[in-house]
Amino acid sequence: MPPFEPDQFEPRGRRELVLSLLFIALSGVLIVLPSSAQEQVAGVFRGTVLAPFILLQESLTQARIRAVDTAELQERLDAATAALSAQRTLLNENQRLRELLDLRERAGPGFRSASVIRAGTRGSESMILLDVGRDDGVQVYDPVVSPEGLVGVVREVSSSTSVAMDWTHPDFRVSAMTLDGEAYGFVEARHGAFREEDRLLLDGIPYYTTLEEGTAVVTSGRGGVYPRGILVGAIQSLAEAEAGWRRGYWLVPAVRPAAVTHVLVMTAEASPSGEPRPGEEGMEAFWGIWADPPEDTLTPLLETDIPGALETIEEPDGVPEVDPDAHLDPDGPGQPDSSPDEDTGSGGGGIGP
Amino acid sequence: MRPLGFYRFILCMLPVVHFLLHVGLGMGRVAPDLLAVGLLLLAREVRTGTAAGIGFFLGLTEDAFSLLAFGANALACTLLGVVGSRSRELFVGESLLFLVSYLLLGTWLRAALHWVVAGDDVRRDAVRTLVIEGPIDAGYAALVGVLLLVVTGAWRREPST
Repeated sequence: MPPFEPDQFEPRGRRELVLSLLFIALSGVLIVLPSSAQEQVAGVFRGTVLAPFILLQESLTQARIRAVDTAELQERLDAATAALSAQRTLLNENQRLRELLDLRERAGPGFRSASVIRAGTRGSESMILLDVGRDDGVQVYDPVVSPEGLVGVVREVSSSTSVAMDWTHPDFRVSAMTLDGEAYGFVEARHGAFREEDRLLLDGIPYYTTLEEGTAVVTSGRGGVYPRGILVGAIQSLAEAEAGWRRGYWLVPAVRPAAVTHVLVMTAEASPSGEPRPGEEGMEAFWGIWADPPEDTLTPLLETDIPGALETIEEPDGVPEVDPDAHLDPDGPGQPDSSPDEDTGSGGGGIGP
Repeated sequence: MRPLGFYRFILCMLPVVHFLLHVGLGMGRVAPDLLAVGLLLLAREVRTGTAAGIGFFLGLTEDAFSLLAFGANALACTLLGVVGSRSRELFVGESLLFLVSYLLLGTWLRAALHWVVAGDDVRRDAVRTLVIEGPIDAGYAALVGVLLLVVTGAWRREPST
């Protein structure tokens, strides 16, 4: 350590004091800035001073993803190909039926795959950087999902990157329902003693509605941010109850954000018929979960006399039969649950082991 | 004998290494808080206002990743820079024991300041943050910081030229 030099700074004491107070005041101003201004300032730093570090982690993340065992990738590709080929017939059939009924085609979400970059600095908890941005069609409030379920939502978008918050963020809220649509509520994050103990609370459930442990909870599609049917978690236990009024349940989150390295951003892609967002499009099948179809919606359709309609439907070959009971499938999408008797949901969803 | 410039160069590199470990390599809390170590040592080399400016810049850089408490790092580091610079008037700081104590206390102070400034949404249990995790993180950062200075030869007791 260099020797102590006591006197050289003393004559400028007042100026130094003013300068110090100025920087302290500036720091205080930063705290009270509107969040949009804060994000602009942060964006400037991320795009300049920190850009090399972000690029480095992006490269490392990509390398890590590429290092995944090719045999495992081949296995996934085969499974996806099998599921796709089985569903092609259904798609054709669906399209023909829609034409017969003169129904518009539903808008489906677009998916943009993205690598997750974590800052790992103090205060950066609950925030993830994604290597997709405006140029890829990503917009603010696009949902971020993984094969396991809901991860979070995009908060800020630049041309080639975006910032998302995961569900551990204190501002995270999502309208949710049980898989059978019997109970609706709001899901929010609750901090645990340690970050690993952060969990979700499903609140606002009517007092006289009892949810069984393991019941799957998905997004309800209300609010216009998250499409219906994204898996959020499963009921763990009763958290709180106000007599005669409401109940709150702890959820086992479907996704642990710390373990996520690769996500999908659900972008709003317009359908050929011009529908803007996938708000009404159920996403249950994407996560391998199904619910009992409400009978009142099917009956009128079945009773409708559509001349020639049934004759044009060909029997699909090789299409797996889907169990009509509601289940979370531990084997992933496209695989019907083989043990319907284990369903513990209240007439609706259940979660696999 | 190494020139004073080399010592200051090492101090300037500590925040760079900090961001390399935390952001570039994504090590998170596994990596020590070298930002605080670098700032604390740099603050003793410059005037108070300059130290506050360095702290402000480094804190703001760290805040670029903070959705939850933007500005908390900037304020904490600015105050730390001021305190570090003013500590010159109280302690000469020629011994290894002082260096370790100074870095340990300073790094803990940074964590404490951030905990105070950050909002209720971010703030976690005080005992766990300030009594358990804070001293452990501070000790780890101080140890790594001192080792870096000793290994590179930047720190020594003899007066430099």
